[in-house]
Amino acid sequence: MATLAAPTLIAPTAYGETGIWSWIATTDHKRIGTLYLFTALAFMLVGGAEAEIIRTQLHAPNQHLVSAELYNQIFTMHGTTMIFLVVMPLSSAFFNMLIPLQIGARDVAFPRLNAFSYWVYLFGALFITLPIFFGAGPNGGWFGYAPLTTTAYSPGLNIDVWVIGLQILGISSLAAGFNFITTIINMRAPGMNLMRMPMFTWMSFVVQFLIVLAFPVITVALVFLLLDRFFGTNFYTIAAGADPLLWQHLFWIFGHPEVYILVLPAFGLVSEVLPTFSRKPLFGYPVMVYSGILIGMLGFGVWAHHMFAVGMGPIADSFFSITTMLIAVPTGVKIFNWIFTLWGGQIRFTTAACFAIGLVAMFTIGGISGVMHSSPPADLQQTDTYFVVAHFHYVLFGGSLMGLFAGIYYYFPKFTGRLLDEKLGMWHFWLNLIGSNLTFFPMHYSGMLGMPRRVYTYDAGQGWDTFNLLSTIGAYIVGAATLILVYNILTSRRSGKIAGNNPWEAATLEWSISSPPPPYNFATIPTVTSRYPLWDGASTARIDGPVPSASELGIPMPYSTAKPAVAALAIVGMFGGLLLTRGATQWPGYVLLFGSAALLVGSLYAWLTSPLEPEHAH
Amino acid sequence: MPRLVRRAGAAAALLLLAACALDTYPNTTFAPHTEFGRAIDDLWRLLLHLGTAVFLFVEGLLVVALIKFRHRPGAPDPEPVHGNTTLELLWTIIPVIILACIAVPTVKTIFQTQARASADALQVEVYGHQWWWEFRYPQYHVVTAGELYLPIGRKVNFTLRTADVLHSFWIPQMGGKRDVISNHVNYLWFTPDSTLSAAAWNGTCNEYCGASHGNMKFRVFTVPRADFARWAAHQARPAVYPDTSGARAGSDSAYAFPAAQMPDNAIPHTPLPPAETFATGLAGDPAAGLKTYSASACIGCHTIAGNPMSMGIIGPNLTHIASRRTIGAGLYPNDGLHLEYWIKNAHAMKPGVAMVVLGKGEIDPVTGKPAPTGTLTDQQIADIVAYLQQLQ
Repeated sequence: MATLAAPTLIAPTAYGETGIWSWIATTDHKRIGTLYLFTALAFMLVGGAEAEIIRTQLHAPNQHLVSAELYNQIFTMHGTTMIFLVVMPLSSAFFNMLIPLQIGARDVAFPRLNAFSYWVYLFGALFITLPIFFGAGPNGGWFGYAPLTTTAYSPGLNIDVWVIGLQILGISSLAAGFNFITTIINMRAPGMNLMRMPMFTWMSFVVQFLIVLAFPVITVALVFLLLDRFFGTNFYTIAAGADPLLWQHLFWIFGHPEVYILVLPAFGLVSEVLPTFSRKPLFGYPVMVYSGILIGMLGFGVWAHHMFAVGMGPIADSFFSITTMLIAVPTGVKIFNWIFTLWGGQIRFTTAACFAIGLVAMFTIGGISGVMHSSPPADLQQTDTYFVVAHFHYVLFGGSLMGLFAGIYYYFPKFTGRLLDEKLGMWHFWLNLIGSNLTFFPMHYSGMLGMPRRVYTYDAGQGWDTFNLLSTIGAYIVGAATLILVYNILTSRRSGKIAGNNPWEAATLEWSISSPPPPYNFATIPTVTSRYPLWDGASTARIDGPVPSASELGIPMPYSTAKPAVAALAIVGMFGGLLLTRGATQWPGYVLLFGSAALLVGSLYAWLTSPLEPEHAH
Repeated sequence: MPRLVRRAGAAAALLLLAACALDTYPNTTFAPHTEFGRAIDDLWRLLLHLGTAVFLFVEGLLVVALIKFRHRPGAPDPEPVHGNTTLELLWTIIPVIILACIAVPTVKTIFQTQARASADALQVEVYGHQWWWEFRYPQYHVVTAGELYLPIGRKVNFTLRTADVLHSFWIPQMGGKRDVISNHVNYLWFTPDSTLSAAAWNGTCNEYCGASHGNMKFRVFTVPRADFARWAAHQARPAVYPDTSGARAGSDSAYAFPAAQMPDNAIPHTPLPPAETFATGLAGDPAAGLKTYSASACIGCHTIAGNPMSMGIIGPNLTHIASRRTIGAGLYPNDGLHLEYWIKNAHAMKPGVAMVVLGKGEIDPVTGKPAPTGTLTDQQIADIVAYLQQLQ
């Protein structure tokens, strides 16, 4: 664990090429990861602004900062934004940046498909976000229960935007899922067997399977709704005798694994951060792997616990209650293993470590309230109240986001070559911890004291005023904390302390190469002999001058190409055309639809007939 | 003797706390008043106690680890422990045992609370509408809206249906909620405690159901059985104006929950829309109101048994509207002023409401233009209100 001598550090130059075109055409997993990171952070500000509007409206009874109609769009978009446009893409940023580095690969299996995933995400995100400024934002809640979302009850464009937007985003997630599964299975360095894989890659591996198994289900549910809304089918039409529980089952068969899609990458990051900063290996590595797999598998058998108030009957209620309780066991195992990773260590309280510890502490609270929901009779007093809002924010804010923040502080130096400012980081951490608890803990009370969720205002005298005011104050503190993070990232990118290869004295492969890594990652593919190569004697690559280029080393690199971005734009154009056909004049919609379809075919043809890299050119 | 004093003191403190809680937190789930609510509460207490114990243990362990094993300069590298099978088995098995302690009473309570209600229960049919609640008492031939009367000490079985989208029916102090699902029929039953006195409770919709989901409330009145019988018998009769039968509506036999007993939390405080006005000092003439009402759009949507012109079934049944304490699904108090505003421009009073704007020259906030349905002057509206207020 020798620290690098100062003279070997060079000022980081992130990438050979610069300029906007180099970003549009990039196929480098690290640059795509960077794009994901900054796009997701931008949408975090959007989703955060939505949260602040919600909290301002609810800070006191009978407030009308925004109308009921706008409020409903805002809370729908807050959930949709935070889940699909912030937490999943932040996880994707880490999948992209880390998986090839952690397994000792030069890139992902399909670099151009990877670029395609990002561009579909970006265009889809804009597609679903912008309509709110024209009063056409989705307004059916993030789980869009039928029949409220059918044309009979939501004739406007709002739900069309939501259906199509989620459909677009699903393409991105599925393409990325297959890409990473292929990468992890096929591209591990020699000696990197599955039980030597870093925990983040392991959890990401599980998540990709969840994505490719869960997203098809919501795709089907959304296609039904899309057919209903655009082509007059009757999957959810009540008047035609449809059963609205079809939507609920399909949605939650996707929706519950989605929770683990959101939280397992954060678990993986924490499992990287805690060993490094307690200078001890992860406690019970095999059990951490198995519990992650078990959580993923059980996650497909608990969906109906979102539906205990539906009246499924005592047998279904009992079944899903017990499976839900079971899932607490592997989750609890993870918590204890993290605590015992710290136990006996030499804990250094860096910002990354603090956020990782924050996840352990906060997710525990969300886990306990989760067990409270697992008992259906008790859940009848809790579901669809602010108690549930408290619960899933402890899981997703205290869990996912804290873990992702830990990841940002931990890996920022690897990807920019510069450290984030620790002092600002500690401000961010403490304000975030205090603010989030002040926001979400009182919601347990307002919920159990009878406050329904998703109400745009509430009457005076119901006993909820104090708790709501506290939540609002907390939300402002979280807002301030988030602005500190943004400021820290923007300033430290240019003027942070230079990091060197391995600023945290960490153990895994990604820390053996320069920061930022060269485009080809590893000059020679490493041979792996242990779970913690850098603690078990492997050396870091010393840099005594400029990083040699790929061509100097004779490494074939994928060509830069904008074809994936064009294909992504064409897909969004097609869906946009479909949306426009709902307008008074239909022909512009059809022009856009068929024009984009032609563009998609053309760009796919060009993409698939052009070589990936010089090696394949002949 | 000291023990007795201590016990009395503890009991008094508890009572004070309970009274306090009821006043401050009128919709609390912690003080159930039915067997259904108590069955849930027993489970909740178990969950809360076990949850608190787990919370204290885990967070305590974490804090100890953080303090005890913080980095000290110059300390040797820690021992690279990779795991401990005994420990890992322990923290797998102990949670399983804890969960079993929750699972057994859970399943028991599921089957107990979802059993069929006894046949002699009071039957109430609940219909969720965007955005109001309709209540029908088939045994008493009563149809009403927004206010649910329940006899104290008698089991009530709700049959839950929706007229449109999903809703969820919840009275926090009476027990858990049940979703109201299109093309499905759901059930829920409980017995308001026989120790209750006449009291008002709040109910809400808990499944997001569109624009005015937050405004879909209702009131529950638990009343002594004799008063319930009087209420039901009166509500079942048509409300005729002018009353020629000699026995005026609102005479001795009728019962409605006394306005004076309404707690502050059950009286709506929703502010009137600031842009709306209504001419002051208008005296309504109920006879003129009857005429205007019966010739206006009102009758297309509302039923008043006793007014043969008024047979619409889209909106709430208004037969005994004057006996109700709130209007607009618990959104406004039922008084002349609020009725006038409501009739004049319902769209400004409640987002998304199906009722049309009736005031002459009124701007419809949905379209931003004068409403074509707006034909009634303030005087005509005051007349209609005077008529409605006769419908005790």
